[in-house]
Formats: sequence, C-alpha cells, structure tokens
Amino acid sequence: MINLTIVRLTLRGLFGRRRFLLLLPLPALVVGMALLADLLGATPDEWGQPVLVGLGFAAVLPVLALIVGASVLGSEIDDGTAVHILAKPLPRREIVLSKLLVAVVVTTLAAGTGMLLAGLVSGSGRLGIAVLAGTAVGALAYCALFLALSLLTRRPVLVGLVYVLVWEGLLTNLVSGTRVLSIQHYAVSVAERIDGSGVVTSTVSAPVALAMAVAVTVGATLLAVDRLRSFSLTGDTS
Amino acid sequence: MTDRAAGVIHDIGYQRYQGPRLGRGYAVGSLLTHSLRTAYGLGRSAKAKVFPWLVVGIVGVVAVVVTAIRSVTGEVVLSYLDFPDAVFPLAVLFCAVVAPELVSRDLRSGVLSLYFSRPLRRTDYGLAKLAALIGAVWLLLTGPMLVMFLGGVFSVDGWRAVWDEVGDFGSGLAYAALHAVLVSAVSLLIASLVSRRAVAAPIVVAAFLVTLPIVGLLETAGGETARQLSGLFSPETLLVGVRVWLAPEPDSMDLGGFGPLYGAVTVALVAACAGLLLVRYRRVRA
Repeated sequence: MINLTIVRLTLRGLFGRRRFLLLLPLPALVVGMALLADLLGATPDEWGQPVLVGLGFAAVLPVLALIVGASVLGSEIDDGTAVHILAKPLPRREIVLSKLLVAVVVTTLAAGTGMLLAGLVSGSGRLGIAVLAGTAVGALAYCALFLALSLLTRRPVLVGLVYVLVWEGLLTNLVSGTRVLSIQHYAVSVAERIDGSGVVTSTVSAPVALAMAVAVTVGATLLAVDRLRSFSLTGDTS
Repeated sequence: MTDRAAGVIHDIGYQRYQGPRLGRGYAVGSLLTHSLRTAYGLGRSAKAKVFPWLVVGIVGVVAVVVTAIRSVTGEVVLSYLDFPDAVFPLAVLFCAVVAPELVSRDLRSGVLSLYFSRPLRRTDYGLAKLAALIGAVWLLLTGPMLVMFLGGVFSVDGWRAVWDEVGDFGSGLAYAALHAVLVSAVSLLIASLVSRRAVAAPIVVAAFLVTLPIVGLLETAGGETARQLSGLFSPETLLVGVRVWLAPEPDSMDLGGFGPLYGAVTVALVAACAGLLLVRYRRVRA
C-alpha cells in the first residue's frame, strides 16, 4: 500500500527547500507562550484555552497541515513533474496513500512536538499526551482534506484558507451547529476526552468527533484516489 | 576583402522614436493601476476573479445584513467604526489572496529585471505595489460601508441626523484606511519574501492568526498593566487600541494611559514594514 520510493521523493521535496524551515518557529511559539504563561504565574486552566486551543489547534495545526498537505502532491502538479510519477506502473491508491502518510507524519511531528512540550509545561503528562493525540487526529483529517483539494482545484491553498478562516474561524463561532463539521473541533474534542481535566474544552462529543474525523479522512482519500485516476495535467493558471 | 558592396547596410526605413518620453511618473502610475486591477482580477481570466470577489461577496453580505437589520428594527448592530474590526479576518484573507498575486509571481517568473530596466526605480516598484494593495483593501472595506451609509441616510429623519451620519461615515472611512495601511504593509512584506504563492498565502494568514492568542493570554493571565498593554501584540487589537484612543466609547477596551503608545506602535510597525519592503527590493536579484 505504501511505496517507499514515493515516500522518499516526497520527503525530499518537502525538506529539500529552505522555506520549510520557516515553519519551525510556529510550533516553537506554542511552547514559548506556554512557558511565558507559566512564568507569569497563570494556572493551566487559565492559559490552556488561549495557548493550546487558540494558538495550537486553531492556528498552528491548520496552517502547517495546509502548507504540507497541499504541497506533497500540489507542488509536483504545479511544476509538472507529477507526470513522471503518474507514468509509472503504480496503483494511484499507492501514490495517494504514500503522500498522505508523509504529510500526516510530518505535520504531526512538527505541530505535535510543540503541543506535547506545551502540555508538559503544565506539569501534567496526561495533558501533553492528550494534545499530541488531538494534533495527530487533526493532522490526519486536515492533510487528507487538503491533499484531496490539491487534486480538485488549481488553487488548493486558497480554498483551504477560506475553509480555515471563514468556516472554522468565523462561522463555527457564530452558528454552533456547524461545529460538527469542523476538523478543529474534532482535534480539540479528542484532546479533551483523553485529558479529562477540562483544561481544553469542546462542544462536540468525542465519539462523534472521532467518527467524523475518520469519515472525513476516508472520504477525502477515496476522492483523491478517484480524481488522480482520471487526472489531466492542464497548463499554468492565468 | 575590400569589396564594399558586401558591407552595405540598406536603409529600409526604420525610424527612431522622436516623441515625448512618458518617464518615471507615468511608469509608476501604470504599475499602480495595473496592480490595482490585478488585485480584483480585472482584465484577467475568470479563475483569477474567483477568490477576490468571493471575499468581496462575504464582506458585502455582512454589510447588507447589517443594513437590513437597521432599516427594519432601527437598531445599529455594527457602527461604521465597528465594521472594519468585524470583518478583519476577511481583510486578512483578501491580503493572503492578493499580496502573493501582486509580488510573488513577479519574483518567481523573474520579470523584475524587465521592470527595473525602465525609468521605474526599485523603491518605486515596492511603493507602487504597496499603494495598490492599500487601495484594494480600502475599497474592500469601504464599498460595503457605502451600502450601509446609503441605507442609514435614507432611514434617519431630519438634516441634522443625516449630517451626523455623514460624519460617522467619514470617520469610518478613515478607520478603514488605517486598517488597510497596516494589514497591507505587513502582508506585502511577507509575500515579497516568498516566491511561491501557495506558501506565501498561509504564512500571511499565520502572521495574523498566531499573534491573537498572545493578547488573549496576557488578558487572562497578566496584571492590570499587562492587560492594558496586551493589545500591542497583535495587529487586530492594535488597531482597536488606536480607535479607542482617538474615539473613546463606554465599555470598550481599557487602555489606561497607553493610548498614544498604541498610536506610536502602529506608525512604527507600518514604517518598519514599508522600510523592510524597500530594503528587500533594493537587495533582490533582478
């Protein structure tokens, strides 16, 4: 199911350029804010929501997942080298799954390290594990979604930004019912359930969140495989 | 070897251009109008129009809803000063769409040498792009505000009320200009450093998103002084701070005596971003 050559090529595509090092300050910022909050004498109950949810789950995780998820396949489509992979006798399923695996692992490691350390700053190992698990669930669903978007549209990053800013940022705060359709809330909900101390809180119940996250991941991946099967390379955007 | 007939250059009627040269000012003006049109995808394919006009549509819907509520119930949900604050994330989204479109494409396709071989100077290029983005964001904010204004003018009674409405609208336009200048300066600087549009856009959004929780943290965790200074750490609350300083309202953000500091930090941030943008274009390989 997983092709190691594709995995290697994708990793090289991601880390071969210096610009991905620009993303490392983001997770470091989460840890820094947690340390600063601790230094100021705030309790984890006070800083958990702004730092872990407001900064970590609502900003750092979606931005990292967007850049990584949309570029594992999207950058190859952009510069036209995707042809070389598509011309090889590989099942399209293998290409998509290998790329998704790389995207999820990279996003989870990058965002999760910061979240885990920030959780540990609170002095509760359980909180650290909980936010790490939430990050992993979020990374899986986000990356699958953004990977599928990179096959559906020529501007996957902008569509992803509209989703993150308008749908998750504005609408879910105004209309609470739409939270069931927000990946950010799945991630927070999983973290809340594992932690159990109420430092992070969500309005979506954990079983629903987990089921929806799996549904989004599977659905988006199937869609991506299907799109890649009948993929046609078009010219550059205007 | 001395056969002169082989070396004759025939005069086939080429003429040198003898007319007036339009010069640097004209080049800057052209770049400005062209960039402003690019921001909204005018004169380009339908694909280039989708994202800017999607944002315009959402901001417009907000303005129409606010106007409708006011004309039906008479209650002002969002004042002209509240409006730019309320749609701030959408202005950021607009910048994330437009700023990479304005500068990242030129960097990536290597056409800067063509620009700089004209009378246009390097600083002119940066400033023209910045002015175009500021204009585009200002139009994004004030266009829908005009809808609110027309709805408001026709729903109030008496000349005095109309005059008050005009005054409020004027301060709204000025506040929208402040928003446009700050958001554009920050996002254009970021976009000018990244040559790939797909990477520049999320980084622009991240710059605005990650700073907001810092404010939230200082508000909940810090003391009174920390709370009054907390707004300085995010562009969004910085702008609100300037507004509260210049036009104090009851139950708005508590600034203590730090109002002028908010104004100074805003000016310094804009100047720093614009300065770094010019430095970037002085250094960039063309």
